[in-house]
Amino acid sequence: MSTSPTASKDKKVEEKDKKGDKTDASKKVEEKPVPPTPTAEIKSNIALIERAVGDLEPRFTHRVLRSLTALRKRLDNKIIRDAIEENYPSDSAVKTSLLSWLPAAPPADQSMDVDAAAQPNGPVASTPSPKPTSDPVPEVEIYFRLLLIHHLHASKDNYAKSVELSKETVDKIQQLNRRSMDPIAAKIWFALERSYELGGELADARPMLLAAQRTAALRHDDDTQASLINRLLRSYLHYNLYDQADKLVSKTTFPASASNPQLARYHYYLGRIKAVQLNYSAAHTNLQQAIRRAPPAKVAPGFYQAVHKLFVVVELLMGDIPDRSTFRHPVLQKALQAYFDIVKAVRTGSLSEFQATLNKHASQLEADKMYTLIVRLRQNVIKTGIRRLSLSYSRISLRDICLKLHLDSEEDAEYIVGKAIRDGVIEGRIVHEKGWMECEGRKNGYGPEVSEVFGRRIGYCLELHNQSVKAMRFPLNAHRKELAAAEGAREREKELAKEIQEGDLDDEGLGDF
Amino acid sequence: MASRQLATLYRELQRVFDARPTDLKKCGALLDQLKIGLIQTGLLIPTAEANLQDLVVARDILEIGTICSIRAKDVPSFDRFFSQLQTFYTDFRSVLPPSKREFPVRGLNLIRLLTQNRIADFHTTLESLPLPADEISVNPYIAHPVNLERWLMEGSYSKVWNAREEAPAPEYKFFVDSLMGTIRNEIASCEESAYERLPLKDAATLLFFTSQSDLLKFAQERGWQVDLTAGLIKFARKNDEQTEIPKQKLIAANLVYARELEQIV
Repeated sequence: MSTSPTASKDKKVEEKDKKGDKTDASKKVEEKPVPPTPTAEIKSNIALIERAVGDLEPRFTHRVLRSLTALRKRLDNKIIRDAIEENYPSDSAVKTSLLSWLPAAPPADQSMDVDAAAQPNGPVASTPSPKPTSDPVPEVEIYFRLLLIHHLHASKDNYAKSVELSKETVDKIQQLNRRSMDPIAAKIWFALERSYELGGELADARPMLLAAQRTAALRHDDDTQASLINRLLRSYLHYNLYDQADKLVSKTTFPASASNPQLARYHYYLGRIKAVQLNYSAAHTNLQQAIRRAPPAKVAPGFYQAVHKLFVVVELLMGDIPDRSTFRHPVLQKALQAYFDIVKAVRTGSLSEFQATLNKHASQLEADKMYTLIVRLRQNVIKTGIRRLSLSYSRISLRDICLKLHLDSEEDAEYIVGKAIRDGVIEGRIVHEKGWMECEGRKNGYGPEVSEVFGRRIGYCLELHNQSVKAMRFPLNAHRKELAAAEGAREREKELAKEIQEGDLDDEGLGDF
Repeated sequence: MASRQLATLYRELQRVFDARPTDLKKCGALLDQLKIGLIQTGLLIPTAEANLQDLVVARDILEIGTICSIRAKDVPSFDRFFSQLQTFYTDFRSVLPPSKREFPVRGLNLIRLLTQNRIADFHTTLESLPLPADEISVNPYIAHPVNLERWLMEGSYSKVWNAREEAPAPEYKFFVDSLMGTIRNEIASCEESAYERLPLKDAATLLFFTSQSDLLKFAQERGWQVDLTAGLIKFARKNDEQTEIPKQKLIAANLVYARELEQIV
């Protein structure tokens, strides 16, 4: 985590490494018992951003942004104001523009003194920092704006304001056109979309997002581009515009270097589009990727639940029965109750039970936007029912099938069984004159299809392996360390060999004595 | 309105369209003129600042266009009109008063996708309907294609056949005929694999044929063996021949495994 890539000499790297580890460790120790005040945290974040910009190393910015969710919850007007005051020189134009977004401090004239008095008491900001004399890098300003937008989201009255602020911020980013802005810009776009959504006019942001996406693609701002594509997909899917979403996916390439959360979202949206288009196996792969890339269940339970809901439905539509353990997972158990009931109905192959479950949970499924997908399951229920019958009977009359599956007429039953035979769901024969269905036991368990299934599974394992190799991250210049270690080992070996030689001589010499 | 001429043309179109029987040729000619007029006034692809009244008129013209194209059995033209209508239905939804022809037209589009066997498009379109899911089964124009699709997928072909007369608007009938052709082929392919032999009389009922000569012609097209003396159709069994091992495929798969394994080790 804390290797410094700028160091050129191997030993230096090692030293710095150790140092970095130590500071890291000490920080962690500090953080656990007494979390730093938000103001102090912002301050250290700013230092990190400056370091990131200076060293051209986006990793530090990423680290800053990772703490955003936790930090967001602890923000209030005073904290942000203090942080701004502390990090900008008193006559800075940027500072006044930033402060204008906050309501005036209650005791306006005192606030400065209070801050000054309060600061040294803070647990972490014990080292009194000198007032900065020049503005920090523009990234810092954008970071403050990001905090401001998130802060404005916290209360309903500020939604219009947050839209305004995010628009202005986006303009600013595009004017600045700095590569090092990329990760923060990606977050800003997220905040912008959220502002629009809270303001209830998500569709209005779309032209702006589309334009920005084009620019980001041209400038190779990978993080921004990934974020924007997800924003657009989300906006399309929110309004059920699957056609447009599909076209967007086919016309853009999702940057491969995007972070895991973005990839997870992207795969989820893809899975959703594919599921609607009846391409269930593709949807299945996408959702699997989404689950694998998603943050742990406890950290982002909402996303985890949403993906699993869709995943269960897609598995059912493919004719599989989802794993029982999915429904026992502590995070999922409650959220997936309705889906569990549906799975039970499909498994028993009873149309009436399926219909009853569907009616019972209609409102929830509707809210999850799953209703139309679930309605499609009807034919799967019938197919499962027929398969069960074909396994347990060697000969059954169409009338009985009709009764057992609650079909409307014998005539229907004949067509349905015919279709099931043609689709390869069951192996059997209809004898029309006698009005029954004859089922032969599974004759050829081994055939070309077995090797196909086998091949598919092997392919899956290989794919999994390749994906995990790709997902591994290596610290920069780590191989040099290894080289150095190897070099050192060789040196030592040589010395040892020499010593042994000499020692041998000595021994011999001693023995002679 | 930008041009008085457009207004008179529009009134003329309404008159011709409402007259029974409709003079389709005249409608087509009027529509062509109107479309040029719409382009000149910038209403074909409207922008946000267009007059509300004008937008309603433009939408009406396009809706009449879709219905006329169906009556004239011109599906590509229907397609064009429908995609032009999309702007009015989605982007201007919140501004314009709802149109009473909207759902019939949308339903027609759904049926069209169904007859062309574009099931994936059918479902995408269905998802994007501005209706909550429980209203889909209530709205007759939408429920009809939705039910048809469900029955087709289940295999309840007799229900599809019976629903043929229940079309909510006369225009739906045009598609229903071509749908019947699709169903017949579906049933025939099911029969080929599900039966060894089938009496001629029953085959006729299953395939919804009223006369035996139609059935014989159909059987000939599908290449079935008809035994007229016994009154039977025999279906050739297909799946007993394939015992050959797909060598090429297996070799290719094994080579891929070898390469991948080499990468891992």
